[in-house]
Amino acid sequence: MDILPTEEEQMLKNVAREFLEAEVSTALVREMELDGLGYPPALWKQMADLGWLGMSLPEQYGGQGLPLVYLGLIIEEIGRVMAPVPLHSTMVAALTIDSDGTDQQKQDILPAVADGKMVLTWAVHERDARLIPEAMNLEAKADGDGWILNGTKMFVDNFVVAQRCLVACRTSPASDANQGISLFLVDPNGTGVNQTALVTLAKDKQSRVDFKDHRIESAALVGEIDQGWPIIEAMLDRGTALLCCQMVGAARKDSEMAIEYAKNRVAFGRPIGSFQSVQHMLADMLLHVDGGEMLTFEALWKMDQGLPASVEVSQAKAFCNEKCESVVRTSQVIHGGIGFMMEFDLHLWFRRVTAWTMRMGTTYDHRAKIASALLDVPGKVRLGMPLPAAG
Amino acid sequence: MDFGYTSDQQDLRQQIQAFMDENVTQGLLDEMEGGEEGGRGPQYRELVKKVADKGWIGISWPKEYGGQSGSRIDQYIVEEEFMRRGIAVGGAGSGAPAILAAGTEEQKEFFIPGMIRGEIIFALGFTEPQAGADLAGLQCRAVRDGDDFVINGQKMYTSAAHYASHIYMMCRTDPDAPRHRGISIFLVPMDTPGITVRPLWTIQSDPPAPPGTTYGMVRTNETFFENVRIPASSMLGEENGGWYVGAMGLNLDRVGASRYLISVRRDEDIVNWVKENDFNGYSPADNPAVRDKLAEMWTEAQVCRLMTMRSMSLVNRDGNFTYEGSAEKVWAPEHGVKTTEAISQMLGPYAQLLSNSEENIEDGLFAHNLMGSFQSGINHGSVQIMRDQMARRGLGMPRG
Repeated sequence: MDILPTEEEQMLKNVAREFLEAEVSTALVREMELDGLGYPPALWKQMADLGWLGMSLPEQYGGQGLPLVYLGLIIEEIGRVMAPVPLHSTMVAALTIDSDGTDQQKQDILPAVADGKMVLTWAVHERDARLIPEAMNLEAKADGDGWILNGTKMFVDNFVVAQRCLVACRTSPASDANQGISLFLVDPNGTGVNQTALVTLAKDKQSRVDFKDHRIESAALVGEIDQGWPIIEAMLDRGTALLCCQMVGAARKDSEMAIEYAKNRVAFGRPIGSFQSVQHMLADMLLHVDGGEMLTFEALWKMDQGLPASVEVSQAKAFCNEKCESVVRTSQVIHGGIGFMMEFDLHLWFRRVTAWTMRMGTTYDHRAKIASALLDVPGKVRLGMPLPAAG
Repeated sequence: MDFGYTSDQQDLRQQIQAFMDENVTQGLLDEMEGGEEGGRGPQYRELVKKVADKGWIGISWPKEYGGQSGSRIDQYIVEEEFMRRGIAVGGAGSGAPAILAAGTEEQKEFFIPGMIRGEIIFALGFTEPQAGADLAGLQCRAVRDGDDFVINGQKMYTSAAHYASHIYMMCRTDPDAPRHRGISIFLVPMDTPGITVRPLWTIQSDPPAPPGTTYGMVRTNETFFENVRIPASSMLGEENGGWYVGAMGLNLDRVGASRYLISVRRDEDIVNWVKENDFNGYSPADNPAVRDKLAEMWTEAQVCRLMTMRSMSLVNRDGNFTYEGSAEKVWAPEHGVKTTEAISQMLGPYAQLLSNSEENIEDGLFAHNLMGSFQSGINHGSVQIMRDQMARRGLGMPRG
């Protein structure tokens, strides 16, 4: 039990910060908001060369096999500078291919990801954007030894630049045996696949993706037919925890800007940071970022240990949604009018953190999961001890 | 980062739980509720002896003074398991960190082993009628007279004074120095002539709060000092250096199992209660608003736990606190209040029923908690003062 970063973890963080602060300016962030790809390929290649893209992928596929906590530390730093790269969506998909893909899929995809030659994404949300099996309606109908896809996915990250997309499809009605959902690897440029760009608060690349009679071959299946939901849940858990890292990193940096501003901005003849009301706002920001960070890394650490972590992930996201939002909003308040100006950089963080609170599960969604784990399984609960197991 | 306990630590926890199942009898609990000797009667002393034989007292304190020189995490486990049974054994209590840090060899040898054995109990004598949050304004005087000091003044909220063997008190020794530099700390036996203890009854006293209530103590005290003569060797640390000695102890007092459990036991209580009970078929556990709130509170409670773990990790690394102790002392008490108040809205009018009422729930625990939980945000440095410290020490904000 020592929940502070080890020397090695701290070093990794420091090296990542040094690189990112040198390479990612707010000018680049702004430029990429208007860019067709949304990311600079040269920077992506540099990250591959640093070993970040293969960090938590297995060594036999060109990765380093390091714990998710390490990848989380990198993504926290990515969030800090809002580096405009498709790292999160690529990792969400790549880690799932690593855990549940076929050998062929792994060989085709993972080394290319580690090398920076392939961008990936995932598509689970539909019009009912809750990440629950009942909301999965995109139909994959058996056709010979393949399937035909019809339906719509929403809020697909980086779809415009991805070479592969993991798509959650309904292959059967839910039954006692399984949810009837399957996971497929899809080529975003395939016939019958059309994306429509969505304009988001974060000004990143998200798409609505319409599938019309899009045919996929048997090799596209990840896991077993009809039995994809547990794989998708694990994918969402990893992705959610990693998104929390990004939120915490961005909120931390945003709070530091408020701290600096409060030290220097003079009103009524003294720095506003000398007013108790401002000091207490800053103290709360610190509590909130720290809390989110500790919940997030506990969830990642549990995954690394092979322990159940779904409740921990939901705790982290439910907390980060509210508290990171509160942090970036409070920072806006401390900055006053200037924070509302396009030319001032603060909104770059505010808009992203705010958008991220709605991704991968709302506060209500995650609290419903926590409540179910607490209340719907018999047995006494105790903080700091595993909850009673279902079944 | 390591969020888990080692297998040795898990074994330790299980051993303690088994020991407690065997040794914490109803007789002992009744004796402790009795209040005479502060609940520390013959059965309690027998338990302390058994616990000491197991090597579970003062685990993280130095061997030379009766401890085990073990890890702070082990000590945390002992404290948590004991406190969950309502028994305060395991650490060495208030004042010990400061005595270890600032005491003379003679003081350490006299006080620490006695504190570990539970024979020396300190009342805390900091607050005065005119000096609470602004403690440096304290006026209780200690005047040197040859090799002695003579104390005159009054201390407030000296909760343990009616059963303590000693009082750990701050006095003004130089009224002409700047406020923080004219204060000294004394370790004074309670049986010294001139000390009078007068009870102050709390809002938990009528009817008495049930066991396990957050700040359920029915009594505290005010303590008067009239020409109390003590040898100069009773001083802890340097003359006029007491402010800094006292601050050292307080920081450690704000972290650990006690503060953590005060703030989170309600979260467990309410989840476990609604799982097993209902009102004529209506279970709050089926109410979506209640479910959402319980999950929110549970998550906040996890942050309490993690802040405590962070403090333990820091202490174990011999690191210095910058703002982490203050952060814990803001987050945990405020969380305790939020949960307590949320529970009253989950249970409805039942949560107003006191310990002696018909129809009450859990002996009125949830009603009495409402009177006690906010207390945690006031004592040992209010949450407002803790936020000041976070902003100034943690974030470098200028003073107002």
